[in-house]
Amino acid sequence: MADTILLAKGVTKRFDGLTAVHNVTYEVKAGETAGIIGPNGAGKSTFFNLLTGFFIPDEGQIFYLGEEITRTPSYERVNRGIVRTFQLVSVFDTMTVLENMMLSRIRQGRDYRSKRRFFFKSVYHPDLVDECLQALDTLGIADKADIKTSDLSYGEKRELEIVIALSLNPKVLLLDEPFAGLSPIEIGHISRVVQQLSGKFAILIVEHKISKLVELVERLCVLNEGTLVCSGTPGKVICDPQVRECYWGKEETA
Amino acid sequence: MLQTIFYGLTIGGILYIISIGLSLTFGAMGIVNFSHGLIYAIGAYTIYAVMAKMGINFILGAVIAVLVSIPFSYIIEKYVIRRLYGESIDYAIIATYAVLLIGVDAIKWIWGASPLPISDPVGISIQFLTMEMPLYRLIIIGLTLLILIGLSLFFKKTIIGKIIIAGLGDREAVRGLGIRLDKYFAIIFILGSALAALGGVLYSPISTLHPYMGFHILILCFAVVIVGGMGNLRGTAIAAFSLGLVMAITGRIWGPAAEAMVYVVMAFVLMIRPIET
Ligand SMILES: Nc1ncnc2c1ncn2[C@@H]1O[C@H](COP(=O)(O)OP(=O)(O)O)[C@@H](O)[C@H]1O
Ligand SMILES: [Mg+2]
Repeated sequence: MADTILLAKGVTKRFDGLTAVHNVTYEVKAGETAGIIGPNGAGKSTFFNLLTGFFIPDEGQIFYLGEEITRTPSYERVNRGIVRTFQLVSVFDTMTVLENMMLSRIRQGRDYRSKRRFFFKSVYHPDLVDECLQALDTLGIADKADIKTSDLSYGEKRELEIVIALSLNPKVLLLDEPFAGLSPIEIGHISRVVQQLSGKFAILIVEHKISKLVELVERLCVLNEGTLVCSGTPGKVICDPQVRECYWGKEETA
Repeated sequence: MLQTIFYGLTIGGILYIISIGLSLTFGAMGIVNFSHGLIYAIGAYTIYAVMAKMGINFILGAVIAVLVSIPFSYIIEKYVIRRLYGESIDYAIIATYAVLLIGVDAIKWIWGASPLPISDPVGISIQFLTMEMPLYRLIIIGLTLLILIGLSLFFKKTIIGKIIIAGLGDREAVRGLGIRLDKYFAIIFILGSALAALGGVLYSPISTLHPYMGFHILILCFAVVIVGGMGNLRGTAIAAFSLGLVMAITGRIWGPAAEAMVYVVMAFVLMIRPIET
């Protein structure tokens, strides 16, 4: 039996009267690849924000490796291994690919910044640069290191965001609609990356469209209007009448 | 005319030095920081105190004034600004405005309400073509350029600089990298405040000290920040020098309109600039 790595227990989040996430209990097991689907506005991103500490739940608790983290700040959760990507790709457009990468390494390389010269420590430390280039190379984008991020295609930005997330050494990786806005080729590319990562650490993917997840995840849940309605293997979930009712009509039109 | 431009650049330089902190606080933290004006006044009154009362020279006095401002900005950051992260902007305005008001009263209590003059610390003018240029103003322009270059290197080359630039773009994404942004913002807040104190020091020999000097400069600097774009460092520099020139040129034509013209320019920029979402 696999251990639970991340657990949400009865979490609720309200925004001025609107309940975006309602009494959701959900767990992610170590090493599994799980998915949550739900129509737009279902509360998927809000749920992610609760898991990652960008929002604090109004009710309920969150546990990570058995420890309560309900109010732990987001940066600390990242340092403990809860790493996420954002629904709208989040890379720093004014910087180069390499510089984006460096920002993610700063935290780990404590010796890159000796206390003595902390304030004026240069970001272009040769070891740091090497490490970042290597990391970029794992996805074959090292040749783009000096390009301004704003000049990348959306798909390339998504790849960069994932490389960055990986360099943060996740124990659980949360992907918020990683396929949104990508072309079919790019979707295939990202899917393969996810498949390669599967099993190395826990992965939780949130998606709007069911079709992209079916082959990627071992377990699928449906979130609708802030409530978990159904859970099981992808095959079972697709056939669930309740899911079809609340979801199917909106599916595959986009 | 050349002299007017020269005066405009001096004022622009000082506006730049003071506005950076304001712009960064707004761009990076989303906080409108009125207490910035207090730190500026603290810089000016400290240089007055150490020069007039203790007979210390201007350069050493300037260093002391900037150092004196640091504990104040540290306290303001720790007990006011840090509590305002994520709160609505109205809270920030009210809270930092309160700090400014308290400071103004403290200044009145210590130094009285009447204006105090500081004389030109250099007192030499340089003959250039047909005009006389006070050396002090030249020094200010030089110093501003040094700060401008220093800051752009800082933001381009250092780790802290990179983190701040990233934070200006997307705060959440920086936190998503496991970086404790608040800590870096605190550092940059104190740096920006120290520059405001330096601005107060530099401006005091050109104008006079009075308890409300913080309010006065703040409104001009808000105009700079709005025209330059909040959190936009290059924009802040360009806006500061442009508005300095606007003030000097308008002032030469009709004195009383000098500052009003700044707000006309600001309103114009707001009107033509596309709305960012
Ligand atoms: N920061 C916020 N403030 C107010 N309402 C929000 C906020 N974030 C999300 N919501 C609302 O919560 C609901 C769920 O949104 P979200 O979690 O983004 O859905 P999803 O990611 O499934 O599309 C929506 O109705 C949205 O308008
Ligand atoms: Mg979403």
